[in-house]
Amino acid sequence: MKIHTGLRNFIFPGSVILIYGILFFFNFDKAFHALLSSTRLSLMLLLPLSLVFTLMFFMNLFLSPAHVTGFLGKKSGARGLILSALAGIISAGPIYAWYPLLKDLKKNGAANSPIAVFLGNRAVKPFLLPVMISYFGWEYVALLTLFTIAGSVATGYIVGVLVQDST
Amino acid sequence: MKLAVSAEGPDLNARAGGRFGTSAYFIIVDPQTMAFEAIRNPGAAGQRAAGIQAVILAISQKVDAVLTGFCSPTAAKYLSENGVRVATGIDATVQDAVRQYLEQIQTQSQTPLDATGARKNKINRESLTHALKISARQLASLLPVLIGVILLVGLFNALISKELLSFLFSGNALRDTLAGSFLGSLMAGNPITSYVIGGELLTSGVSLFGVTAFLVAWVSVGLIQLPAEIAALGRNFAVVRNGLFFILSIIISILTVTVYRVVMELFS
Repeated sequence: MKIHTGLRNFIFPGSVILIYGILFFFNFDKAFHALLSSTRLSLMLLLPLSLVFTLMFFMNLFLSPAHVTGFLGKKSGARGLILSALAGIISAGPIYAWYPLLKDLKKNGAANSPIAVFLGNRAVKPFLLPVMISYFGWEYVALLTLFTIAGSVATGYIVGVLVQDST
Repeated sequence: MKLAVSAEGPDLNARAGGRFGTSAYFIIVDPQTMAFEAIRNPGAAGQRAAGIQAVILAISQKVDAVLTGFCSPTAAKYLSENGVRVATGIDATVQDAVRQYLEQIQTQSQTPLDATGARKNKINRESLTHALKISARQLASLLPVLIGVILLVGLFNALISKELLSFLFSGNALRDTLAGSFLGSLMAGNPITSYVIGGELLTSGVSLFGVTAFLVAWVSVGLIQLPAEIAALGRNFAVVRNGLFFILSIIISILTVTVYRVVMELFS
């Protein structure tokens, strides 16, 4: 049976709410403590989420999937790897939506390294940085972002060396 | 010149037209020689983001124009912003559609059919509303899972004992990093979820090494998505990439935390 995507999004939170219902029935104190903890967490996330929305808005205003493709479609080499990293950073949406495009790009001659670099750099999400900073501080986030970008580019290059291009 | 024609079949005699995002094939035609290449449309099944995938495909093929039956305003906007003309209302064979298109651009100085010419990307009221709508939709799609995670973290805080966490994360940098990488590789979803879980793990006493490895592996290694990645990019690629990025998550964790501690000590 095919479940509508919109409905599927609510299965997980619905299940958690069900667990809360059961816990409230059997152990009120623990359930109340859990709910208090969740409320505290929600309040803490309000400001970062507002910033996330603002950043999302500007990224959607100035960047489109077409820009991402433009970067990813470039030739290989150092410039190609850097542009692929940029494409990974600005790409949005679930990874499943990108697989058909990557498959097609590969079929049309794209090398393995830029694709691996693209996938690795999806770990860097500029519009989610406010939430990350609110948890870990900007110094840590800056270092992690720097190492992630450099490491993903290097590892993507190694993937290209180890895996022969099929074309 | 290169044209992309949405079509029902893989050759020049196939019926052209239909919806741009969900047509079965794209026929990439050189109108001078009528040499063509048929590309199966990855979004033909009509799944989510089919239109965007078709836009990406057309741009990556470097076509000058798209000939189709119907094209959504969003897809048409992305195409025109990238210099690709969009001609809709096509209802003929691929061959005839290309011929009609050529005749019209030769006889008319204005845009052919109801074509949208390439135009410069400028911010106007329409693009602001469009960006606002997309952002609201993206945030709304994040919220159900995020709310579920927040509620789950509450349960986690109330029910999971410190002893269990100490069993999983011993405080030993290497063991914690490995545990974090494994946990991150097994889980998937929006990175924001990993930040929330990682932040709570940190306040529960898990070492920063373990949390960092968890954050990096969450996005860059995907055991759950592995079958999909194998299907799209090949077994060798998917296995080597995930294996190397698993190792990378450990290296990044050690580097980030070590440098972070040195920096904090220097400036404190």
